[in-house]
Amino acid sequence: MDLAGYRMEIDRRLFLAAVAATPLYAAAPLVSFSAGEARLVEALCDQIIPADDAPGAKEAGVLYYIDRQLAGALARFAPNYRQGLAQLASACRERTGREFLSLPFGDQTAFLKDVASGRAPGLDAFFRMVVDHTMQGFYGSPAHGGNRDEASWKMLGVTGVMEGHQH
Amino acid sequence: MTLPPVDVVVVGAGAAGGIVAEQLALAGFRVVLLERGRRQQFGESGHDELRSQRTTVLGNAFGPDDAHYVRLAESGDGQFRKVLPSEGAYNNVAACVGGGTFSYGAMAWRYLERDFRMKSTYGTPAGSTLADWPLSYADLEPFYTKAEWEIGVSGKAGANAFEARRTKPYPMPPLPFNTEASLLEPAARRLGWHPFPIPMAINSVAYQGRPGCVACPHCVGFACEVNAKNSTAVTAIPRALATKLCELRTQTVARRIATNDRGQATAVEYFQEGKLYEQPCRAVVASCSATETPRLLFNSASKLFPQGLGNRHDWVGRNLQGHAYSGAYGLFEREVFDGLGPAARVACCDFNHGLPNGLKGGAMLANEFIRLPYLFARNAIAPGVPLWGLEHKRYVRAWYKRSMAVQGPVQEMPVFESRVELAPELTDAWGIPTLRIRGHRHPNDLEVGRFISSKAEAWLKEAGAVKTFPKLPGAGVSGGQHQAGTCRMGDDPQTSVVDRYCRIHDVDNVWVVDGSVHVTNGGFNPSLTIQAIAYWATARMIRDLPKA
Repeated sequence: MDLAGYRMEIDRRLFLAAVAATPLYAAAPLVSFSAGEARLVEALCDQIIPADDAPGAKEAGVLYYIDRQLAGALARFAPNYRQGLAQLASACRERTGREFLSLPFGDQTAFLKDVASGRAPGLDAFFRMVVDHTMQGFYGSPAHGGNRDEASWKMLGVTGVMEGHQH
Repeated sequence: MTLPPVDVVVVGAGAAGGIVAEQLALAGFRVVLLERGRRQQFGESGHDELRSQRTTVLGNAFGPDDAHYVRLAESGDGQFRKVLPSEGAYNNVAACVGGGTFSYGAMAWRYLERDFRMKSTYGTPAGSTLADWPLSYADLEPFYTKAEWEIGVSGKAGANAFEARRTKPYPMPPLPFNTEASLLEPAARRLGWHPFPIPMAINSVAYQGRPGCVACPHCVGFACEVNAKNSTAVTAIPRALATKLCELRTQTVARRIATNDRGQATAVEYFQEGKLYEQPCRAVVASCSATETPRLLFNSASKLFPQGLGNRHDWVGRNLQGHAYSGAYGLFEREVFDGLGPAARVACCDFNHGLPNGLKGGAMLANEFIRLPYLFARNAIAPGVPLWGLEHKRYVRAWYKRSMAVQGPVQEMPVFESRVELAPELTDAWGIPTLRIRGHRHPNDLEVGRFISSKAEAWLKEAGAVKTFPKLPGAGVSGGQHQAGTCRMGDDPQTSVVDRYCRIHDVDNVWVVDGSVHVTNGGFNPSLTIQAIAYWATARMIRDLPKA
């Protein structure tokens, strides 16, 4: 049974072409990340929840959720990001001979699958944390900086329910 | 600063403390009700999944807050690590007026007759301190009835084939079935089970001057926007304050119960806005939860009680229990999500007792509250589906509205080594020694969990699920929001902390009234039992505590 492909009719590539003009990380000022870190975090977000015919974590501005919360409720994780992003960048150079950001999308995915399965020692816990924060930023309330234009709620068809206006 | 004396200080304005304060004030006693949290309104927290009682990733909307509190939790390797209130291992109970009831899901269960007679029913398994309660269902029945009418419970009397005799119906009819319940109810009947509407401390119609539920999906884990959820914050506590004999002091953090040379309580010491106060009184009731009540007793050690008040025989803080939640998810061809809260609407008690293969106890099974998007994306992923990437996104998108969960709170065998105790050299922001939590679940609970989970899968399949997968408990220490058991009630002072009326053995003016006193915790959400016990204990307290 194809659990993931259920009633998915629109090809991912068609949509990617349509959103190619979406502004990238520079859309708003950053409070926690350097510009270099932000590019890397945004690329990770794009891998964790990619765009198809619905926006992904990059388009939904999840970078800004993480950036803002690392200066707030998630401040205790800021050192993990500082260290983890640097480690991830260097592990990528070692394993692939290239910068993570210069890898094609599919090669980035392959590298992160290696990371997630523990093949880059010490980085799997960091990546699990980024996955969790990305899910929070994408599926949580737009009030916290992510889920821009209620992108995930529109995708799930629950905008009215989540806004609490159903009754 | 020493304050003018009162009759009784109640520490903790939660499920039980609110009722104790109300009952004592109605009986003419002067009461001070201390609450470490604030009085909150719906608008302060709203409908924010990431700051709800279920998803605390951005902090506890209903307290306690990460800036002032900390505990130690035992890791798998036997080491302790610091945990903040917003982390699961802290085993947080909400800290606000109303306590957990302000944001709870509000299932309002009576335990079954056998839940009070677990040792008589099952013997005592190796590695457990399983015992009978010193009181029976029949003793507690009038107080269950009182709780249902005074707090306000909607339900259908007689609909649960396994419930023991009740003297009065519910004061309100049950909430209507949603889509999930409409599919699950006939499916359970086809399986030969006995489904019925879940009793809820939520108004199905206007009651006590507050409106009926508006079926908003943000129910469990949130404050109610129309005050249809019957917390003590909108029921017992306002009635206590209306007597003018009860004073509620919020943002007060109790440090210790002061005692005299005879071992009797004389006052409660607490901090408010950085200042230390001493509130003299004739009696103290600790209603702080099954983790914070033992902490207060440990911190109230004296010459007569060097290991903590009431802890002469080393039973305070032990037998920490919660529920080993077990169940399953089911995926359906058709949409089953209707967005109508609270969503948990139908239950079966066919598997609370009498399980095969010598399994002890069991759980009621019910459909789950609405799963909001973040928790769904993290927790409801079928085996084999990646936890990130396009395939994960497509899964969430495809199944969010085509899934159900059925689960139950598996009754746990009490384990003496599962406990809270004072953490060496760690304090909260007020310098008060804090807790560490350690222990494990009994192997029986995990086996029962697998059995309950298999029944949940069978139920979902019968209701039309095209795929099901289990949700099973871990082996680590339990507790959570259903925490209980740490100041056991009993007739023998050597093997319990309080007597059958919740008074600490050999301290004649200190009571513990909260989930701490539960000998066992039933296969149900515990709040109505905590509240029935509160009515039971205060009825006796009023008799035993002459007015000044």
